[in-house]
Amino acid sequence: MSNGIKLESPLFYFQSSFNKSTSADELFNAEAECGLVVKEAPLSAHLILRGDSNDIAFCAAVAETLGVVLPLKSCTYHQEGNTSIYWLGPSEWLVIESAGQAQIIEAALRKALKGHIAIVDVSGGQTCINLRGVGVATVLKKSTVYDFEAWDLATSNAGRAVQTTFAKASAVISNRSDGSYDLVIRRSFVDYIAQWLLDAGEEFGCRIEQG
Amino acid sequence: MSQNRLESHSGVAIDFTFNGKAYQGIAGDTLASALLANGVNVVGRSFKYARPRGIFGHGAEEPNAIVQLGSGAGTIPNLKATQVELYQGLQASSVNGWPSVNFDVMGLIGAFGRLMPPGFYYKTFMYPKKLWMTYEHFIRKAAGLGATPVEADPDCYDKLNQHCDVLVVGAGPAGLVAAREAARTGARVIIADEQSQFGGTLLASKQQVDGIAAPLWVASLVAELMAYSNIQMLPRSTVFGYYDHNFLTILERRTDHLGLISTRGARQRLQRVRAAQVVLATGAFERPLVFAHNDIPGVMLASSVSTYVNRYGVAPGNKLVVFTTNDNAYQTALDWQRIGREVVAVVDTRSNPCGDTVAAVKAMGIEVIAGHGLIEAQGSKRVKRALVAPINEAGTQVTGAVRRLACDLIACSGGWSPAVHLSSHTGAKPEWDASIVGFRPGDSKQQERSAGASRGTFDLMGCLSEGASAGAQAAMLSGYGDGNLQFPAIAVDEYSEQPQQALFLVPHTKTTSRAPSQFVDFQLDVSASGIELAVREGFESVEHVKRYTALGFGTDQGKLGNINGMAILANALDQSIAETGTTIFRPSYTPTTFGAIAGRDVNNLFDPERYTAVHRWHVEQGAQFEDVGQWKRPWYFPKQGETMQQAVDREGLAVRNSVGILDASTLGKIDIQGPDAAEFITRMYTNSYLKLAPGKCRYGVMLKEDGMIFDDGVCACLGDNHYLMFTTTGGAAGVLAWLELWQQTEWPELQVYFTSVTDHWTTATVTGPNARKVIAKVCSDIDLSSDTFSFMDWRDGTVSGVKARVFRISFTGELSYEVNVPAHYGRHIWEALIAAGEEFNITPYGTETMHILRAEKGFIIVGQDTDGSMTPADMNMDWVVGKNKAFSFIGRRSLQRSDTVRSNRKQLVGLKPLNDKEVLPEGAQVVFDAKQKIPMAMQGHVTSSYYSASLGHSIALAVVKGGHKRLGQVVYCPLADGRSIASEIVSSVFYDPKGERHHV
Amino acid sequence: MLLIYCPHCQENREEEEFSYGGEAHIVRPLAPEALNDKDWGDYLFFRTNSRGIHHEMWYHAVGCRRYFNATRNTVTYEILETYKTGTQPTITGANS
Repeated sequence: MSNGIKLESPLFYFQSSFNKSTSADELFNAEAECGLVVKEAPLSAHLILRGDSNDIAFCAAVAETLGVVLPLKSCTYHQEGNTSIYWLGPSEWLVIESAGQAQIIEAALRKALKGHIAIVDVSGGQTCINLRGVGVATVLKKSTVYDFEAWDLATSNAGRAVQTTFAKASAVISNRSDGSYDLVIRRSFVDYIAQWLLDAGEEFGCRIEQG
Repeated sequence: MSQNRLESHSGVAIDFTFNGKAYQGIAGDTLASALLANGVNVVGRSFKYARPRGIFGHGAEEPNAIVQLGSGAGTIPNLKATQVELYQGLQASSVNGWPSVNFDVMGLIGAFGRLMPPGFYYKTFMYPKKLWMTYEHFIRKAAGLGATPVEADPDCYDKLNQHCDVLVVGAGPAGLVAAREAARTGARVIIADEQSQFGGTLLASKQQVDGIAAPLWVASLVAELMAYSNIQMLPRSTVFGYYDHNFLTILERRTDHLGLISTRGARQRLQRVRAAQVVLATGAFERPLVFAHNDIPGVMLASSVSTYVNRYGVAPGNKLVVFTTNDNAYQTALDWQRIGREVVAVVDTRSNPCGDTVAAVKAMGIEVIAGHGLIEAQGSKRVKRALVAPINEAGTQVTGAVRRLACDLIACSGGWSPAVHLSSHTGAKPEWDASIVGFRPGDSKQQERSAGASRGTFDLMGCLSEGASAGAQAAMLSGYGDGNLQFPAIAVDEYSEQPQQALFLVPHTKTTSRAPSQFVDFQLDVSASGIELAVREGFESVEHVKRYTALGFGTDQGKLGNINGMAILANALDQSIAETGTTIFRPSYTPTTFGAIAGRDVNNLFDPERYTAVHRWHVEQGAQFEDVGQWKRPWYFPKQGETMQQAVDREGLAVRNSVGILDASTLGKIDIQGPDAAEFITRMYTNSYLKLAPGKCRYGVMLKEDGMIFDDGVCACLGDNHYLMFTTTGGAAGVLAWLELWQQTEWPELQVYFTSVTDHWTTATVTGPNARKVIAKVCSDIDLSSDTFSFMDWRDGTVSGVKARVFRISFTGELSYEVNVPAHYGRHIWEALIAAGEEFNITPYGTETMHILRAEKGFIIVGQDTDGSMTPADMNMDWVVGKNKAFSFIGRRSLQRSDTVRSNRKQLVGLKPLNDKEVLPEGAQVVFDAKQKIPMAMQGHVTSSYYSASLGHSIALAVVKGGHKRLGQVVYCPLADGRSIASEIVSSVFYDPKGERHHV
Repeated sequence: MLLIYCPHCQENREEEEFSYGGEAHIVRPLAPEALNDKDWGDYLFFRTNSRGIHHEMWYHAVGCRRYFNATRNTVTYEILETYKTGTQPTITGANS
């Protein structure tokens, strides 16, 4: 940020206190050893969108404005480019966009949507981390009661997302096409979750990466 | 080579110690098999009579060989030696037997066993009452229950949440084939077995299966299963509980067999399994026979003797007498003969045994003494002889002369009891089946079925075919396969068996009460005469007899003794076993470590610590923290050498005289949008929000429908149909659920959406007479003058370059600005405010000062000054209750109930101690007369109490019956130390009663 | 540990995601002030406490944040059906 305004991601302190500075070579070696790699995504715009999914005009206007079809099927998400929409409930979605877009998107949606809707900027309150590595499936079993294995066994498993418990906190967990998982977690729980992940991933080798 | 180790059996030597003495076992041993190999007779003392006891069984049923492993932090008490896998350097000791197993003071009591009937302790040590603790200490120490480690457990534990289609419990013959049938359908299968190796009884069997030795057949089947990607195989894993909706818990012992403390990874893992279908193939326990002195070391289960011989290569004696009611135990005589040791005789209670194994034994030239009972064992620390006598057909009387057989080992078998424990956990009631002389699992209460011995099917062919069917059926019901078996029938060579005799108490020449003790439950020394005595004393229900005699209360949970005990009870009550029934088995099947139950939820991961975006700044400044819900909030900021009181005095005075800053980010915040938002909010709060204009805030109190205060906070109108509601820090989630409840279930017609934004905002409260000057330095686009931005207004603006929302609300009674920015900018804005306030000596303060400042103003804290039984009127807050609201807001009707309009309700008042430096303890009871007798008439209690530096005296808030009409009265708080503190009841507003300071 | 089918998420989910909401189908009186203390007390405090079939609310707190109803057998803990708020159960004490 310019003009001396300091911007801190939720994982900022955790990373600086736990990450040793590693050269590229060391990173490569560490990659081979680590069964769990946790990486925080760059800060993004997060918005909660509320509206009536039975309202065709509403759904169409969202798709038109965001360029992503609103997911109506439970426990799924849609993504196009930098824009993702997660189904959180029958009238509730999470929109994730590039940083700095929150107010622009909110304004555009408010202009396009009619009737009873809500749009709430929650960008400061959450962050997205990615879990990858051979230990991820086991770490998920340690941390959640949800049956993520069933996603892998399903014939079509693209674009699944659920909100569930994660250790003693909660997360919106989605699968990625590369086999990794994204977790959207609340800012105030981030240190707890990061410590939990380091502990859970210890048996595989675990590393937290800068976003 | 140890004295009892068979020469045919060898392996890598393993050194271990037992009760301080060094021994050697071999790889593959359990502690029990190694002790037997070394000829260790006495492994413990019984609980009550301290009788010497030896190893009796070979698995989870073992009642006697209870050991403690290691010492120090990693020590593990109360393990069964039969389930402890030997490792190099293992150190074990008996838990029973103080000061030693071979000589102990309680042994004297053993000599007077008859003097200690059931309930002995209750009856004998009841008086004088105050000595009971002394008695209990002595008895417990002597009885020995193992020693708990006193240091923190050095091991780590873990949990896994699993989901599967078919969970197979037990990897004996039935379980293995069940798993194969299920796995081949593609279903997700988990198979768990408590032993280190899969195979169950087949591991010790000399039978041929599919033309090869049983253990080889097991090995090939296990290899076949391992090739499936959809099966998880869990050895050393005990399924110990079966809960609602097919939820089962497994204790997986990952490193216990390697050493005391795990050097890599979790020692044990609790696997929490949600299974669509369950196959219970948990096998059966052999039942001991109840005869006089059947507890002398050297008396064992017949199947255990065979297992030690066949699987571990250990002969636990030399001269064997087999005592049986069935054909199955003859196998033990054959096994013993095969290793070249002497079988003295087989004593069979049946008058004319004639099955295949009987014929085989006779063909070996072994004497079969039919129609006889082994009525008594003799010996002290080892069996020396068996007394054998003819008995009648019914097995109730000795009918002839006693014969003595010299021997050092008695293998007994009273038939087999299906392991119905897990089935019982589901609520299924075991049903007595006379044809198997045992309880079968009752009708399924969940998605489970039993197969094999646990269902009362004891022949190998039956176990295999039942297991296969159960596996296929379970898979089909979980959506895989068509239920048909794929694998062909397995050829098994098997003996045909004749019916067994149901015999639960072997008669003696003397009556049960006169005969030497005939033990039913070895671990807790419950004897047949004890059960009969309990009946004579009037106990009839099996559950009561269990508790009176302690039958089945040991760590073996009655796996051996229960059926015999029930049968003896039934006989004493002159009713059938079916009528008597069995006690209910509950989790855990075998003891489970607390470590596994806790998993990784320990130390810093015990409970989430929630941090605000400014947390690190607080840490850097040396703040002391207070837990508020899961949040860590700064409690106070001590400077070098300051006590808490000094810090808090300084912080409070800074706010009153200049300016302070508080991190208020933890307050709950809910964004509310929709055309009916104002109407909805007005229904939830006691006051009205219908006319609240954008830019304005209002304080509100929320009631439950019973009229009691539930939460409070400020609600701001952000724009048309758009509000922001603040909640208490601890109440945030509860308030959101409360709003959703009413909107979703009662008034779905009201169009309003709620979203939690607690984490999105960092809130910095700048408060004190100089607050405006501080804000003015970092904010240029808000007109801060009191006329345009007055108390209970909010404004959008830019603070230190960041878009912010600034609220003029006050919890201190001073001029206050609450600056809200998205949390990523939290530290930036905080440091900017600190810098701007430097010239005014801006002072960060914590929750303690916040509490004092608000108490000086008489502002309540919900949950501290209220406890769920306080109305707004009780809190002297009638002003917050809208009198003319059209809608009957939540809780309004209850404010008119006869109980809520009582005049003598506890009401909030201020207390000023007469000694004005004395701080009342919070929670102290309030009485009107300190001289009255105890118990005193309690009139209320202190809810908040502090020393106020601003006022120069201590203050308290209290709820006192009828308190609002008692201003000026003196009340007393009697304390535990005998003092009584006198205080005057005063207004709850101590500071700036007119509220002039925050309006500037 | 119950396994609960959320009618909005359309999946079986573990109990720890939910919180219990008490008896379902209790309608708030439209005019509370018109009730005497006894009738208001009945609404406030008294519940059927059924043995067997029971209709109750559950909140999918760590999930879709929707309330819905379940028909549960209070003896066996079996959940016989779940259904959305505003709809009626198909299984009742009368037809079970």
